[in-house]
Amino acid sequence: MSLPSAEVAADFKDALQDLKINSRPEISNLTIIAKENTEHAQAISRELENHIRTTRPEWKLPALYVLDSIVKNVGTPYTVYLGRNLYRTFMDAYSLMDPGTRKAMEGLLKTWKQPVPESMDPRPVFSADVTRDIENALIKYRTVAIQQQALSQKQGMQYNMPARPMPNTPWRNTPTPPLNATRYTPSNDPRVRQFQPFSQAPPSYGGQYPPPATPPTSFQPPASYQQPSSSIDLDKLKSDLDKIITATQAAWALTPSDVPIQQKLKALLDLQTILKTQALPPEQLRQIQIQVQQLSPPPLPIPSYAPPVPVPPPAIQSPQQQATPAFPPANTPLDLAQLFANARPPVPPASTPTVSAPSLAEMLRRTTSPMQPTATSAPIPPFFSAPYSAAPPPAPALTPTPTNNLAQLLAQFSQPAAAPPVSRPPPPQNTPLPQLLPQASAAPPTVGSAEWLLNALKAQNVLPAAGTPSAPQGTPLSSEPMTRQGSATTGVQNDAELTTASMKKPRFNLISRLYEAFPNQCVTCGRRFESTPQGKERKARHMDWHFKVKDPDLAKRGIHRSWYISEKEWIEYREVDEAPPEQASNGATGAAAAPKKETRDNYVLVPTDAALVHAPCPICQEKFEPQWLVEANDFVWMDAVKVNGKIYHATCWEEYSRGAGIAAPSTPDSVLGKRKAEVSPIGSGKKVRAY
Amino acid sequence: MTTLPGLNLSSIPPETLATPLTLQTRTQDLPAGTEYRFEVAFSRTFFIRLLSGTAEFFGTELAPSSKDSYTFSGTKGAIYTWHGCKLELVGEAESEYLAEETMMMSYANAHFALENLREKAAQVGETGPRVLVVGPENAGKTSLVKILTSYAVKAGRQPVVVNLDPRQGILSVPGSLTAAAFSSIVDVEEGWGSSPISGPSPIPVKMPLVYHYGLGSPEDGKIFKPLVTRMALAVTSRLEEDKLSKQAGFIIDSSGAVSHGKAGLYENIEHIISEFSVNALFVLGSERLFSDMSRKYSNRPPDEKVSVVRLDKSGGCVDRDENYMKQLRQAQIRSYFFGNGENALNPATHSVDYDELNIFRLIEASQVNTSFRPGDDDDDVYGSSNELFEKVTPSPMMQNSLLAITTAGVNERQEVIRDSSVLGYIYVADVDDTKKKLRLLSPQTGRIPPNAIILGSFPEDAPGLVS
Repeated sequence: MSLPSAEVAADFKDALQDLKINSRPEISNLTIIAKENTEHAQAISRELENHIRTTRPEWKLPALYVLDSIVKNVGTPYTVYLGRNLYRTFMDAYSLMDPGTRKAMEGLLKTWKQPVPESMDPRPVFSADVTRDIENALIKYRTVAIQQQALSQKQGMQYNMPARPMPNTPWRNTPTPPLNATRYTPSNDPRVRQFQPFSQAPPSYGGQYPPPATPPTSFQPPASYQQPSSSIDLDKLKSDLDKIITATQAAWALTPSDVPIQQKLKALLDLQTILKTQALPPEQLRQIQIQVQQLSPPPLPIPSYAPPVPVPPPAIQSPQQQATPAFPPANTPLDLAQLFANARPPVPPASTPTVSAPSLAEMLRRTTSPMQPTATSAPIPPFFSAPYSAAPPPAPALTPTPTNNLAQLLAQFSQPAAAPPVSRPPPPQNTPLPQLLPQASAAPPTVGSAEWLLNALKAQNVLPAAGTPSAPQGTPLSSEPMTRQGSATTGVQNDAELTTASMKKPRFNLISRLYEAFPNQCVTCGRRFESTPQGKERKARHMDWHFKVKDPDLAKRGIHRSWYISEKEWIEYREVDEAPPEQASNGATGAAAAPKKETRDNYVLVPTDAALVHAPCPICQEKFEPQWLVEANDFVWMDAVKVNGKIYHATCWEEYSRGAGIAAPSTPDSVLGKRKAEVSPIGSGKKVRAY
Repeated sequence: MTTLPGLNLSSIPPETLATPLTLQTRTQDLPAGTEYRFEVAFSRTFFIRLLSGTAEFFGTELAPSSKDSYTFSGTKGAIYTWHGCKLELVGEAESEYLAEETMMMSYANAHFALENLREKAAQVGETGPRVLVVGPENAGKTSLVKILTSYAVKAGRQPVVVNLDPRQGILSVPGSLTAAAFSSIVDVEEGWGSSPISGPSPIPVKMPLVYHYGLGSPEDGKIFKPLVTRMALAVTSRLEEDKLSKQAGFIIDSSGAVSHGKAGLYENIEHIISEFSVNALFVLGSERLFSDMSRKYSNRPPDEKVSVVRLDKSGGCVDRDENYMKQLRQAQIRSYFFGNGENALNPATHSVDYDELNIFRLIEASQVNTSFRPGDDDDDVYGSSNELFEKVTPSPMMQNSLLAITTAGVNERQEVIRDSSVLGYIYVADVDDTKKKLRLLSPQTGRIPPNAIILGSFPEDAPGLVS
């Protein structure tokens, strides 16, 4: 609309040249330039990429922050333009950086895999395939780094790998301290525990499987709870486990697309957490140790990672190991049965029903989807069930008993770990020993988790039904009501009638129907919502709508009043609530009018090419009119198709092509498809729905 | 016809001496059940912010302690609180006071009574309450309609609001008659909200169906009744298919003029009631009207029952003189083209030849000496025997007037033109009689639709819209 792209790009470049430190005002200034010139997004993006590529290494990071700020604050079309070359842009810079800067870059990458903060848009900043390529490259890179390090240092533990950024823990800049068996005594000191699980467990590997179920915060049990029950080689076990994990990571890094390894890795990490956050009875530890010795991996591909030390917990997850090509397959199969058999805890009957730990399922849900209290309809967290469903043939061969124990063991492990510190009273008997199955079912508070797990396993056809200990009574999860509880009415009798006398009677009690019945209020406009899950969802959509329409650049965009709709359109029109219940009530007419819409709902983005902008439709010679399309989040020409570089009215083209027998392209030209909001039928023909 | 590029109309309407005199911030405590009434001149801006408690502006709740204040200009309004609240006020109001006696409980009762009917209607799948509000001018009809609408929206309903008062527009310019379903909150600052614009609007837009009436009073012409009939048809058809709106029913705002009556006859009210099948009639203020109405509708068969309910006029109703009303109308027209406040719009200027427009001027009843038979609303009366419109060529007389572009073709019969809804309005900014050219202000850049265009005598000229 104003300056040609080259000029804008030059300005942008000048501003970029001055950016030499991570300066917030400068970055936001550049972001604003980008935001105000979205019509020149392509040129700006190119300029930014060039700058990142050519500038001195120490100035690359601020420039990358500019990129980050633009894609997060402006979004399309920058995500499209920048996403194209993101791999090059990122990796070229990465290879020139010092380790500290790399960590920062990995932190950036991590946020790109997630949705924009505070946006309702669930899609990640960049699409998964863009980030995955980078991620894979980084993993390879790390592997090489590890190998080099491993060669130079005798101890494999001192890996100085690039950071695994974790958003919820401050990055500890020190290389991981080697787990020192002699120094470490399991104590009640919470600080010890704090770094234990996570300094060693890089949970954020790979972008493809769900985030680790073990963010550190939820796994720091209160110190009082920790039981230094035994000192038998616990530290050694742990360090061994760490080594195994590292080895598995390395293996996975070589074949990042290998799902079994991923799963195995995850299982290992989970077990590591369990091991570190719980005190296990000596018997169990010993058993685990025995199994681990049997399981002990032969020398791994990476030389220095061949500890002859047994690894305890992976045993439980061993089904996956069979499918793990990079993992030495030699001794896994025979271990499996043995492992399961041994996994039966010969534990003294622990009298710990008072420990009211939330179930594993709950914990998993809490960690995977923290904002999803209503996910109960899906009783099995997918990633959790995945390893089991992926378990290869050995599973059916198992006898019920060992599998039961497996499930139980897992459940027991997770129970104490999942306990939120606040809700836990200092347990009088600080021996949260695993319980036998009958006891578990007898103790209501703990039943939930064990049963849930068993049910989950059964649902996956892993567990024979006979092995289930008891009927699923009182599982708090599945019984959670999903139904809308109590509508807006507050039960106050409404006796108002349409008579003059009735109007005069004060009914203060009814006023609550206007206020208290909808306690969930939007702070921006005062609209109220119910406190039900539906009400919350509506409010969330509503807030999202507020966010969407809050565009400070509106005035520059040449907004004008739309024509009113015709009688017929109005009769068929259905109001589009900015917080629609589910599907806006457009269903009936939407279906009826569907054939007509197909053509008219085609749109193209308003071209940036000056020649095209002013070109009329070659068929009817009428000009196109830019309209704001919510779905595309941009200005578009409705009822338009692009054919061979020319833009026609979709309806014109249809008529023409029908005559000429040419098939019309039916897709809206959507490079922006990625960012497209959920597809909803467009209100009435070419009328753009704006709120 | 071309768009003139150089004529870059500023999207910011020229401010009329908006000199802030005193902008001291003060707070106002409102005990529960009281109302803060204020009047703000068009040349002033007044800011209100809710600090604590709950407060509502004609039924629409104010956002709790939001960052931004609500801005009022040219407003005569009241903020009521059920629970007590504290307001922050900035700016100067022409008058302001705290009222302890309000009609809000009655109005809320009216809402709850309607809610009962809506619940019943939802159960049996029938149409919800069909409400007409009548009363003399400045009795608070529009305010009551707004409160009832806001409360219904708050209760999750989607009522249709029908405006049959051409003196002030709802979601459109004055002189128009509109119908719109309300599913999102009624805007506090803009009166009712905004009709759709080509971009995202921070104010929830409503989709109105607009007809052009073109006269100041329903009693003036002979096209009021046919338009009411037409609108009733459209609204009823909509309700047939729109389940949400069907349950909620509709609320009709009327002009004070229909309530004057002639010798105890209220033919326009009766016409509205019969066409829209109104079953709840709220009479505001006037004892006599209530008495006349209840007498007339007391002895109806149960299936045609009309509940006539009298509501007292709120003490907050102020007489709005013609000068204020005129300013209000100008503001509405301006807002149609230029938007409001932060939500500025960019209308386009077109230069067109005289013969490009097909303008039909409304012939007013006073000009044609036909005997008008009251009560007879057969279409024949308005039929071809009487001319409704005369086709006119543009003339300098048209400068500053508002033209309604209908959806009807140029060669349609006059009744079709009369009954067709409106696409939008254009404003005659300048007439060059020597070059036979018009300069027009249009909401859109595209060419002006070649449809029949109606020129009425109302709203009056809006000089200085483009200056």
